[in-house]
Amino acid sequence: MHNMQTVVDLSRWQFAATALYHFLFVPLTLGLTFLLAAMETVYVTTGRKIYKEMAIFWGKLFAINFALGVATGLTMEFEFGTNWAQYSRFVGDVFGAPLAIEGLMAFFLESTFVGLMLFGWDRMSRGKHLLVTYMVALGSNLSALWILIANGFMQSPHGATFDPITMRMELSSFTDLIFNHDAQAKFVHTSIAGYVTAAVFVAGISGWYMLRNRHMELAKRSFRMAVLFGVFASVGVISLGDALGFIDGHAQPAKLVAMESLWHTRTPPVGFNVIAFPSQKQQRNLYALKIPDLLTPLVTHSMNTVIPGADEVEQNAMVRMRDGIPAVLALKTLSAEPSNQAALAQFDAHKKDMGYALLLERFAPDLAAATPTDYERAARSVIPDVAVIFWSFRIMVLAGFAMLFFLGLGAFCSLNNKVHERRWLLKLAPWFIPVPYIACEAGWLVAEMGRQPWTVYGVFPTWMSASTQSVAYMVFSLAGFVLIYSIFIAVEMYLMVKFIRKGPDDGATAMLAH
Amino acid sequence: MIVLRVLLYAVISLVTVFLVILLGERGAWYFAWVLGTVMIVLISAAGGALLDAQEEAGSSDD
Amino acid sequence: MELYAILKVIWWLLLGVLLIGLAVMVGMDMGIGAALRYFGRTDGERRAVLNMIGPHWDGNQVWFILGGGAVFAAWPTIYATAFSGLYVVMLLLLWSMIIRPLGFEYRSKLPSPVWRNVWDWGLFVSGLLPMVIFGAAIGNMLRGVPFHFNWDLESWYTGSFISLFNPFAILCGLMSLALALYQGSAMVMNRGDGAIRERARKLGLWAGPAGLILFTAGGFWVARLPGYVLTAGDDPAGPAMPLHKTVEVVQGAWLHNFSAHPVLWLVPALVYVSIMAGVWSLQRGWSHLGWWLGALGWIGTIGTVGAAMFPFMMPSSSNPSQSLTVWDASSSQTTLLWMLGWTVVFVPIVVIYTSWAFWVMRGKVTPAQVEGDDHAY
Repeated sequence: MHNMQTVVDLSRWQFAATALYHFLFVPLTLGLTFLLAAMETVYVTTGRKIYKEMAIFWGKLFAINFALGVATGLTMEFEFGTNWAQYSRFVGDVFGAPLAIEGLMAFFLESTFVGLMLFGWDRMSRGKHLLVTYMVALGSNLSALWILIANGFMQSPHGATFDPITMRMELSSFTDLIFNHDAQAKFVHTSIAGYVTAAVFVAGISGWYMLRNRHMELAKRSFRMAVLFGVFASVGVISLGDALGFIDGHAQPAKLVAMESLWHTRTPPVGFNVIAFPSQKQQRNLYALKIPDLLTPLVTHSMNTVIPGADEVEQNAMVRMRDGIPAVLALKTLSAEPSNQAALAQFDAHKKDMGYALLLERFAPDLAAATPTDYERAARSVIPDVAVIFWSFRIMVLAGFAMLFFLGLGAFCSLNNKVHERRWLLKLAPWFIPVPYIACEAGWLVAEMGRQPWTVYGVFPTWMSASTQSVAYMVFSLAGFVLIYSIFIAVEMYLMVKFIRKGPDDGATAMLAH
Repeated sequence: MIVLRVLLYAVISLVTVFLVILLGERGAWYFAWVLGTVMIVLISAAGGALLDAQEEAGSSDD
Repeated sequence: MELYAILKVIWWLLLGVLLIGLAVMVGMDMGIGAALRYFGRTDGERRAVLNMIGPHWDGNQVWFILGGGAVFAAWPTIYATAFSGLYVVMLLLLWSMIIRPLGFEYRSKLPSPVWRNVWDWGLFVSGLLPMVIFGAAIGNMLRGVPFHFNWDLESWYTGSFISLFNPFAILCGLMSLALALYQGSAMVMNRGDGAIRERARKLGLWAGPAGLILFTAGGFWVARLPGYVLTAGDDPAGPAMPLHKTVEVVQGAWLHNFSAHPVLWLVPALVYVSIMAGVWSLQRGWSHLGWWLGALGWIGTIGTVGAAMFPFMMPSSSNPSQSLTVWDASSSQTTLLWMLGWTVVFVPIVVIYTSWAFWVMRGKVTPAQVEGDDHAY
């Protein structure tokens, strides 16, 4: 495996690219379904036709987006097996379960009812159709729930233990798996980030219509509902983000190091780096603009808790690597003789640090002969790419507050029923549409790049996780994805823009009459 | 039919109670999501209905 | 039998149920996609055909997704070994499959004939190729795949990608395509009228017998194929560890289960009975009956493969003793038990609301009707 670093890197690029791409379509689905449900609720309760028109028009845009979400989601399910076979075998017992339940409980619900939602308007009573729409919304968010339970396990493994006979993680407590704090906070954070995305999307397009004095009745109402939906959601996203930072800070000190570019452990309270230019090589910040004493209360919710810096995290890792080596050596014996009691005892005594020894194995294939340099290099690798994570994090936070501000302003103007007169706000609104997407992608980078060098934090390193493929296969698949996905996004954007420009009246009916 | 309806509501309330107990204990954030989502959808819907009232009040003033 | 062994067998059966669900529901949609340009000669007719499954293809596709998820959860070693070993084939399957959602959703969004033709051919590829690959994958499992494990169960595939398209695998692929075309034809007959229905009937009458001929040829071929026999190790209730058993390769061993339990011959017999009866009912115009008989045909087909291979799931041709079996490729007892609980609760619910969805959207779909409907594909 040691000459397979290129395959691992290419697999990571492919997975990151396809996941980020998939995640362009997911947030809108998560939020827009509930927003559609809210619109339809008004239609059913008040009987005003305009709300049905709203639900149908936004539903068309939803469908264009949804198709690509479904298509690219298939890729994700394949890739664990095709590109991360060792990972899949290692954690399949734990990780596969939420994925299967996702299909059983969420995808069936979402996919069966989405057909009825889009095609069934004239086939059932209003109440039934409203129920169908709610089922779609629930289904899409439940799928987020289960995939994030799976992801929560990668971030902070709970509910499983390593079995030295089957040589994989095995489920020990299903409830620990689903009530994992990381999974909980991450699900709520991601789901309502989707709500914000949908709110900004609908508000942006409605603003564009109002500016041109088109479809005023529909645009005003959509704008009002979207900004109210979004303003509460963005408050939620921000407070959940804080909670998630708090949980991750405990579960993954190395990620916190990268998010805050914190190279050295200092006596609390420590300052907050507003801006920093970190150098991974020199393990320091080339430049940093600090607010004194702010970081400690921000991430620990206290004034005197010590936040470990990169130096301390690396030191701890080295101790654990040394301690984990006997466990890995015992495994080799157990593979040939599963009932060797001495090996079992040796494994049990050192199992909690096995993952760190596996991490060291990348630099010292013969663990028994690991040199201090090997330890040093392995310890360095424990800190993920600080510059990328530090800046992605700041971009996400900035985008989050900008959206809160925009949606708040929008809500204020809309509640006064003056929004159509505030032309500056209407002009601003479409420009905000990319912001939630940037925030979502940046958030994904913080979460997943921040987890490196692990696929399962502290348990299983990334370098061991990939399949045993040839470089040629990887280049082939990467090229194929780039080609197909580029065509897809071009087609999707073209249709989306076309249907937005056409608008609700002429667009939806005239187009399809052909 | 009435029996069926009562049965349906009984099942819904049982599920709700079950959810509250289960989530309240260990899944506080999940519970918060359920409450928060219901609240956000209702506020958004109410905001739409309020706009209709505002428009009608505005047009009757003219 | 111990609980763990029973759970393994239950999950082996459930995998069969999922594969059948996938073959029937997704196969039907793919058969329709592959023959779309035959069923519908004009754009209006094609739209009518698309809208027959328009509200359902996405829900049906979940059978495929769930199949993948269940293999991951219940048979993680097989998921990892098969998906990575068959890398290029899996990517071709994936790439052809992901055209389908866009084909349905985007095709009729623009009036341009070029645009619509391109998507029609996209739907053709994404109907034909996945069904051929699906059958070929099962064929390759029957033949055995060249892979082995390291001491830490890291899997290595040592064959070429071309060797996965061997004549036997292609025969299985064509058989699967034939059944898919049959199933699609029955569905189009159910929901179509006039010329469309007549064309579907013709295709069904052709596809059913073709499937039977391919099934028969495959059967004779399997009888001559090297089969795998478990000779030592592999405790049914033991831990999922595939390195501690011995396996022998014996010519014609895939028939051993049938000779040991002659009652199993009823399973392949089911294929003949149901497809012949199915063709007869399509002939008479009883397409609903024909559809259900086609589903029975799939049950027989997949059941035959399962009955022949048990307890093998993914035999290794290069290192037979490291083959993956029901006894050593599954998840832990805890996971199998939990997953069984979820399945028992949710599968009936899914079946109920899926049936409701089909019932709500029931009735004939005609070009005129599609023309007047804003919501149609």
